[in-house]
Amino acid sequence: MIERLLNIDRRIIYLAVFLAVCIPLLIGFELPIKATPNVRAVYDTVEGLAGKSDAVVLISFDYGPSSQPELQPMALAILRHCFSRNIRVVGVTLITEAVGLAMQAFDTAAEEYGRVNGTDYAFLGFKAGGAILILNMGQDLHAAFSEDIRGVATTEMPLTRNLRSLKDFDYVVDLAAGYPGVDEWIAYGQERYRFPLGAGCTAVMAPDFFPFLQSRQLNGLIGGLAGAAEYETLVGKRALAVSGMRPQSVAHMVIIGFILLGNVVYFLHRGASRS
Amino acid sequence: MDREHIVFPILILLFAVVNGYLLAVGSLVASWSGFGVILAAGITLALYSFLYRDNPLFKLAEHLYVGVVAAYELALVWYQSILVDVINPLFRPPPDTGVNWWVIVPAGLGLFLMTRFFGRAVWLSRISFAFFVGLGAGLAIPRRVSSFVIEQIGPTISPFSQVSTDFGWAVLNPAIILIGVVSVLIYFYFSIEHKGVVGGISRVGIYFLMVSFGASFGYTVMARISLLIGRVDFLLEDWLNLNPPLF
Repeated sequence: MIERLLNIDRRIIYLAVFLAVCIPLLIGFELPIKATPNVRAVYDTVEGLAGKSDAVVLISFDYGPSSQPELQPMALAILRHCFSRNIRVVGVTLITEAVGLAMQAFDTAAEEYGRVNGTDYAFLGFKAGGAILILNMGQDLHAAFSEDIRGVATTEMPLTRNLRSLKDFDYVVDLAAGYPGVDEWIAYGQERYRFPLGAGCTAVMAPDFFPFLQSRQLNGLIGGLAGAAEYETLVGKRALAVSGMRPQSVAHMVIIGFILLGNVVYFLHRGASRS
Repeated sequence: MDREHIVFPILILLFAVVNGYLLAVGSLVASWSGFGVILAAGITLALYSFLYRDNPLFKLAEHLYVGVVAAYELALVWYQSILVDVINPLFRPPPDTGVNWWVIVPAGLGLFLMTRFFGRAVWLSRISFAFFVGLGAGLAIPRRVSSFVIEQIGPTISPFSQVSTDFGWAVLNPAIILIGVVSVLIYFYFSIEHKGVVGGISRVGIYFLMVSFGASFGYTVMARISLLIGRVDFLLEDWLNLNPPLF
């Protein structure tokens, strides 16, 4: 029995994890979600801009379809929060794959809140360069992005006409899944132009960015689908991230169960071989 | 007959039957968008089939993905960077500004990189590489040292500054960070033999590293499960139209 458990077919584990994701998605039940201080910090910063006239937030969509399930709910939650508080949003991306996802997020949130492209929000699209593009945006936003994704000149759009540099944004949020991403926004953006910077990232990357919270180079951090669910809860518009917490929690329990089982079987086997 | 040769044709047949049923009952619309959902579901299942065993369906989906991404990126870079930043300023300039001749310099450096494919002109690419290396190092070194080293030193040693003012539980977290940084640095200091006091401190460093690896692994599991949730949600909602409850 112990031998069989030690050599369990890995596909049984895959099947168990698949079912642990599938079944809770089909069965509706609620789990408590409490916002952590790092997520609340991003929320509070956006909330603090609510009363300010002409407040503008910059969101950098630096993720592709491979991390869409984690970061797209985050983008939607932040956009909904901004639009619900009459905060204008400018979007950019440092990677090509994000263009379609960012446009989808803007279209969805703008339609819900009746926001107008070019006045309430603008998506400037993709430009090559990564870190150098960030420096360029800090020096001259209109030179870095001469036109938006539709081909409208940024010097003529009501929203971007008076935005000349990264310093003109009240808050910058980078939603990133790799390079270029949060590291570049800290080193080439926040450190140089001294604007408040928040970040949202995949759960894999989150532990790497905790030191930047300690040093206040980041004022808040939304980590993975759990972070997105916390933000959705704070905004009061629960959507995909919150519903994703059911399978996430059950799958975690299954994985913890397998880890415990593996250890128990291992120690039983070691004890048996010694005796 | 090999089990693999039976399993995969059955799965393909099952996929076709399910799609036929969904189209027949109207869950999927017989249009380009419906075809897109079927294609996306098929590619998702083909990629996950690797968990059972490497197979031709997985290979097909993998190569399809690489091809699509390459074409998509090329189109975006052309329309959003090359056309807007190179072609238009040179050949279709706005009437009020005129031709921007400066664009020739970076465009030329970019074109020089292409000479890697031509034996006799390959030396031109070295000019571009020299420029990129010089620019990259000049920009990266001061910015990264400032952001990732100097800015991190302050919070790391902050317990000492708090001792005189407010020494309490609030100091515990920064103190743990300080002990962790010092012990891990000593663990990676190989000029002294790790025995005695140094050995003890480096052992503490190992424990800190293990906790760090554990935290990273936990977050990695969370991330991978999140991605699985995203795909399963797509399969259940968009493809099978089962409308899973949000809450």
